Amino acid sequence: MAIDKVIEVPYALEIPVGPQHPALHEPILLKAYADGEEVVKVEVHTGYNHRGIEKLAEKNSFYRDIFIVSRVCGICNGVHANCFVRAVEQILGIEPSPRAKYLRVLAMELERMHSHMLINAVMAEIIGFDSLFMNIMRDREYIMKSKEIVTGNRVSADYMIFGGVRRDLSSDKIDKLRKLIDRVIPRIKYYKKLFMEDETILKRLVDVGVVKPSEATLYGLLGPVARASGVKIDARASDKYDAYGEIPFNVIVRNECDAWARMMVRWDEALESAKIIKYVLDHLPQDGKAVPDERRLPRRFPPGEAYTRVEAPRGELIYYVMSDGKPMPYRVKIRTPSVHNILNTAKFYIGYSIADLPVILTSWDPCISCMERLTIIDLRTGERRKVPMKELAGGGKKWVNPRYSL
Amino acid sequence: MGKSKILSLILRNLISKPATIQYPREKPWVEPDFRGRQYSDLQKCIGCGLCRIECPADAIAMKKIPGEYEVPKKNARRLFPVIDYMKCVYCYRCVTVCPVRAFTTTNYFELADTQHITSEELSLSTLKKKAEG
Repeated sequence: MAIDKVIEVPYALEIPVGPQHPALHEPILLKAYADGEEVVKVEVHTGYNHRGIEKLAEKNSFYRDIFIVSRVCGICNGVHANCFVRAVEQILGIEPSPRAKYLRVLAMELERMHSHMLINAVMAEIIGFDSLFMNIMRDREYIMKSKEIVTGNRVSADYMIFGGVRRDLSSDKIDKLRKLIDRVIPRIKYYKKLFMEDETILKRLVDVGVVKPSEATLYGLLGPVARASGVKIDARASDKYDAYGEIPFNVIVRNECDAWARMMVRWDEALESAKIIKYVLDHLPQDGKAVPDERRLPRRFPPGEAYTRVEAPRGELIYYVMSDGKPMPYRVKIRTPSVHNILNTAKFYIGYSIADLPVILTSWDPCISCMERLTIIDLRTGERRKVPMKELAGGGKKWVNPRYSL
Repeated sequence: MGKSKILSLILRNLISKPATIQYPREKPWVEPDFRGRQYSDLQKCIGCGLCRIECPADAIAMKKIPGEYEVPKKNARRLFPVIDYMKCVYCYRCVTVCPVRAFTTTNYFELADTQHITSEELSLSTLKKKAEG
C-alpha cells in the first residue's frame, strides 16, 4: 500500500491562552508557541474590550467626563478621575483646599491598597493556593468598607470634582477608618511573611519572569514592575501632586527582578499606603472647604491644554486634556501604565514553561480595560491600518465630525 | 510557619463565625450614606431638567406629570425627572447639581430585577392626587 498522507508535526505548538480569562478575569489573548514545555514565542493580542472612551470624552461635557473617565478601569477609577480633574483644574486655574487634597490622597491610597491585595490574591489563586486567595479577599473587605465610608461606594468612588472632593469626612468616620486600617495592617504583615516563607509560593515565583533593570528602562516598564527591577520610578515622589509633597513616604524598590519581587513590592506598598492613610487621618487639615458647591462651579472653560500624571496602582498614568473654549474638551488623551506593562513584555515569557505563563502575566498586574487601542481591519482585503490623529481631527474625508473639520 | 501556629489558627477558625453571610436571608451592613437609589421629591422639584443635562449615563428623562396629580405652582411646565435605574451609575451628580436640592437619597442597593425599573412611581408617590369632582 502506497503512502498518500503524511502527518506533519510542527516544530512549535501554538497554544492560545485566553481570551476567556487567561489568568485574570479579563479578556486578553496570549498566543504562545511552545517547543515541548518551553515557551519560544508569545504574541499579545488585545482589542476584546474596546469602548472608545477617549472619543466619548470628546463628545460629552467636562463635568460628565469626570464620571466617564472613572469608568476606564474599575479598580483604579479614583486615580483616573483625579488625573483628569487636575488637568482641567490647571486649565481653569483653580486650586483645591488643603483638606480636599488630603482627602484625595486618602481615597487614592485606599484604592492602591485594595488593588495590590487583589492582585496578590489572584496570584495565590493562579498558583493553586485557593485558601490564601479567600483569606486575602476576606481581609480586602475591610478596605472596601473603608472606601465605602470615605467615598460612598465600595468600588466606583466618583469622589473627585473640580476644586475639591464630593463628600467630607466627619470625626466619627475617621475613628471607624482607624479601626479598620488597624485590623488590616497585621493581616498584610502576615501575608507578606507568608509570601516570604511559604515553599509553594517561593517555588512558583522565584526566578520566574526575570526583567533586568536595563530591560525595564529599555521597554519603558512602569510602576511596581519597574520598581521590582530596581528602577526607582514613582510619580508620587517626583511630581508631589496633591498632598504627597507634605506626606512622608518611601518609594519601595527591590532588586530581585522576578515575579516574586513584584508581588513583594506590592505588599510593601500596601503597608506604605496604610502608613500614608494613618498620617492623613492624623494630620487632616481643618482649614478650607473640602467640598465645593457643585451648583456654583465654573460653566465656561477657557482654551488651553494640560498634561498631568498620577501614580496609579499599576504605574504612571498620564492624561492630556485640550480645551478649545467650548463646554466639551477638544481632545482627551489617556496613556495608561498597562499599555507599557503588557504590550512591551511579550519578550519576558520566553524560556519559561507553559505553566509559568499565567504566573508571569499576573505578575505584571495587567488592567485589560485600561489598554484597549483601535486598529481598523478591512475584512474584504485583510488590510490593517491605524487611524492617525490628523485623520480623526478632520484631515481625512470619511469619519469627520463637522465640529473638528479644519 | 511552625506547627503550633497552624494548630492555633485551625482552632480559632473552628470556633469563629464564617466570614461569608447568607446574603438574601441575611443583609449586609451598608453605611447610611451609601450612594443607593435616589428619586426626586416632586414637592420641591421645579422641572428645570438640569439633572437630565448633567447625567453622565443619560439615565434621566423628563416626563410630563399625569393630570390627576396636584403639582406645586413653581413647576409650571409639569415636568419631572424619571431615572432609569438600569442605566444609572449612582454617581449622584443629579443630587448635587439640583438647584433646589429636590432629590431624596437612600442607601437602598438591591436593584437587580427582571422588570425595567424606574423612579416614576416613587417620585409620583410624593404628590397628592386631586380631589374627586
